[in-house]
Amino acid sequence: MTTRAVSRRAALRRIGAGAGALTLLPFLSDEGLAAFVQIQGTRAAPSLKVLSASQYATLEALVEAIIPADERSPGAKEARVADYFDLLLSEAPPAPRRQWLDGLAALDAESTTRFGSPFVRLDAGQVESLLGDISRYEVAKARPDEASRAVTRNEQPTEKPVLVEGLFGDLSRLDPARKTPPLEAFFADTKRATIHGYYTSEIGIHRELHYKGNQILAEFVGCQTQDGKDCPHCGQKA
Amino acid sequence: MAADPTLDLDLAAVTDESRRLSASIKPGTGKWDVIVVGSGAAGGMAAFQLATAGIKVLMLEAGRMLDHRREYRTMEWPYQSPRRFRMPLDHRPIAVAEYSFLDRPYGNNPAYDRFKKVTSYAGNTFTRNWVVNEKEHPTTGTPYSWVRARVLGGKTNFWGRGALRYGPLQFKAASHDGYDVDWPISYEDVSPYYDKVDVLLGCSGTKEGLVQVPDGIFQRPIKLNCVEVAFQRTLAKMGRHYIPGRAGVTTDGLLNSKYRTRCMGRGRCGRGCDISAAFHSPTALVYPARDTGNLTIRPYSVVSEVLLDGATGRAAGVRVIDANTREVMDFKARVVVLGAGTLDSTRILFNSKSAGNANGLGNSSGLLGCHLSEHLMGPRGSGFIPARIGTEPTLDDGRPVSPYVARFRNVTDRHPDFIRGYHFQGGGGAYEYPSMAHDLPGFGKAFKSSVRKYYPALLSIGGFGEVLPRKENRVMLDPETKDAWGIPVLRFDYRFGDNDLKMAKDMADSAEEMLKAAGAENIKIDREPLPPGWSIHEIGTARMGDDPKSSVTDKFCRLHDVPNVYLADAAPFVSGGTQNTTWSILALCWRTMDYLKERMRAGDV
Repeated sequence: MTTRAVSRRAALRRIGAGAGALTLLPFLSDEGLAAFVQIQGTRAAPSLKVLSASQYATLEALVEAIIPADERSPGAKEARVADYFDLLLSEAPPAPRRQWLDGLAALDAESTTRFGSPFVRLDAGQVESLLGDISRYEVAKARPDEASRAVTRNEQPTEKPVLVEGLFGDLSRLDPARKTPPLEAFFADTKRATIHGYYTSEIGIHRELHYKGNQILAEFVGCQTQDGKDCPHCGQKA
Repeated sequence: MAADPTLDLDLAAVTDESRRLSASIKPGTGKWDVIVVGSGAAGGMAAFQLATAGIKVLMLEAGRMLDHRREYRTMEWPYQSPRRFRMPLDHRPIAVAEYSFLDRPYGNNPAYDRFKKVTSYAGNTFTRNWVVNEKEHPTTGTPYSWVRARVLGGKTNFWGRGALRYGPLQFKAASHDGYDVDWPISYEDVSPYYDKVDVLLGCSGTKEGLVQVPDGIFQRPIKLNCVEVAFQRTLAKMGRHYIPGRAGVTTDGLLNSKYRTRCMGRGRCGRGCDISAAFHSPTALVYPARDTGNLTIRPYSVVSEVLLDGATGRAAGVRVIDANTREVMDFKARVVVLGAGTLDSTRILFNSKSAGNANGLGNSSGLLGCHLSEHLMGPRGSGFIPARIGTEPTLDDGRPVSPYVARFRNVTDRHPDFIRGYHFQGGGGAYEYPSMAHDLPGFGKAFKSSVRKYYPALLSIGGFGEVLPRKENRVMLDPETKDAWGIPVLRFDYRFGDNDLKMAKDMADSAEEMLKAAGAENIKIDREPLPPGWSIHEIGTARMGDDPKSSVTDKFCRLHDVPNVYLADAAPFVSGGTQNTTWSILALCWRTMDYLKERMRAGDV
């Protein structure tokens, strides 16, 4: 395994490590560091536990369609979100794992029915059309007035809430009033895990979000109006 | 399984140390004046006060010692963990409430994820080695998400750092609204001790002159970020106070401690602050106490009961079950101080059933276990503040606590639907993880750029409401179920009442009102109370009072029935206000220990 040969110094360079990583390093075993570099290194071949090569390719295309590369930063493919899925799948209980894999197959089936080719071969317009249909309900119900259907709970319910297990957790909150079609549930589950995998990645946190925290500060600055100045960040006046 | 060093922390050194200590400390290997049960805020403060006064203390901690340098992993990035801090299902010791409330998979419910408890405590890689496994520590009766940490320092290793004082509105709540009883002490009795705690441990905040949450002796305050300033200006127009959070964190440094450093603005304090700017009992209290040479710490010591000397009516010591060897041993001392946490201290008293005390020690009033109270959580709101939509993120989260909406109900006015009140905690800005992405619709470039657009603008507040102390909200020993050490577990009989639920409704309504007033976009309001116990602010099960018929302890937290048993935690609290309890535990404990020291000096014990 070539990644094992990566020196700590090289590994640090590779992740652009700052002070945070330096404080962590003494606690990382060589093996842990190798795994860590492997998951971060964009060129390393995936070492798959659950997914087949073709499933992996389909998933890469799907997560990239959810969070694509754009002018600001790379997308979910380069952030290795598909590898994260494979790890999640390998540790998921059998039922949601099977359900998710069935969903992936259903996506391909739908794609073949509509366009005569599997998802991985669709062009951008076809992907847009297919995923647009699958997620149409989600978009339509965006910004619901949750307050109007809130329930106040006091006693433990006599029946435990029905859990719809997804790969990334319970899906029963999707919409209690409506039975979610399987492909839509698959998409919601996949989107959630993609969001989690992407925005916890180095690419997601630093290059996409430009997150600035987790640094050693002399003092937390806050809004400039707190120091009696006009704030250039929010436009509020002192 | 992929190697994940964030998951499999090597704790061999500290467990070896713990075993060595527990094997070397046995009855007869030392002579101690006072036994202190627990090592968190209560046990830590008790031991510190006594040991620094030259009193020989034996501290009994049910869990192991702590390797704080290794275990406080403050600055780890999520991408340093292949699992991104999530844990495989079988690796969860508990997932706090889920074990009681939900079927498998424990802790995978996004309804709870949203409240961060799962990902902040048992469900993550930072704290999972500290909290108890609920399968070894079950409860029965009504559901109660009882978070317990069995490790040196207890829950102070990951506490929320909210350092708030009770004021006259709490100590004299009954005089204010006619419900229940006042505390037998006043703010003036405790205020000097809050001052001492502020100076000893460091407290960050601003002087506001608010009666509902009195000022302290503050170090440098934590500034508000852009969305919070916008929200503050809105609330000021409504006559409400949105103030910098008060944190049990030293922002200016402490000259009295070699273990602690001033805050470096990294955030992530709930994983344990590796420079101990945040108050954690081990570095702030236990180690300094040990340095006096007067404190002996015995880890792996599960206290099952207080032993009573039938001839004198005084406690003779405590019975300990070694958590590893299961060896049972009796330690003797002149005084017993219980600081195991409100509910575990209560459980120990219940389980101390000597002749004439069939209902537990100190329970002649029959009120032990009654009046369980805490804070109702759940109602909350979020939205995007226009001033920050579509702007470049700034560094918004490098600080120990978010700001605070001081209680505004039933302070000077009287709400028609409920008595007492609530506060909100919360803030916003560009936190590391853009949780609001899960609420944004769509996919592709439009989705990605909408996450970017709203990322700096999120503002989110959550309420903490006083649950009225009621006699019928209680715990008792379960007659059948026992924990992994054969000690009967607690059975809960605890429900939110009418006043609590009416208050919860108003919490959600006022969150919505304030977010609307701020012109927030995409306002989301959660109205449902979280499960009982969620606040981890349990109090009141051995309430203090002047009359032994209507209270369990006297005003110095000493059992009416047994003159040498003291409670150092929040069990004696009469009512809980809206404030987080830790700072009051520390202040009250200091006061109790001053009283105990005086009794010892006078030769009363």
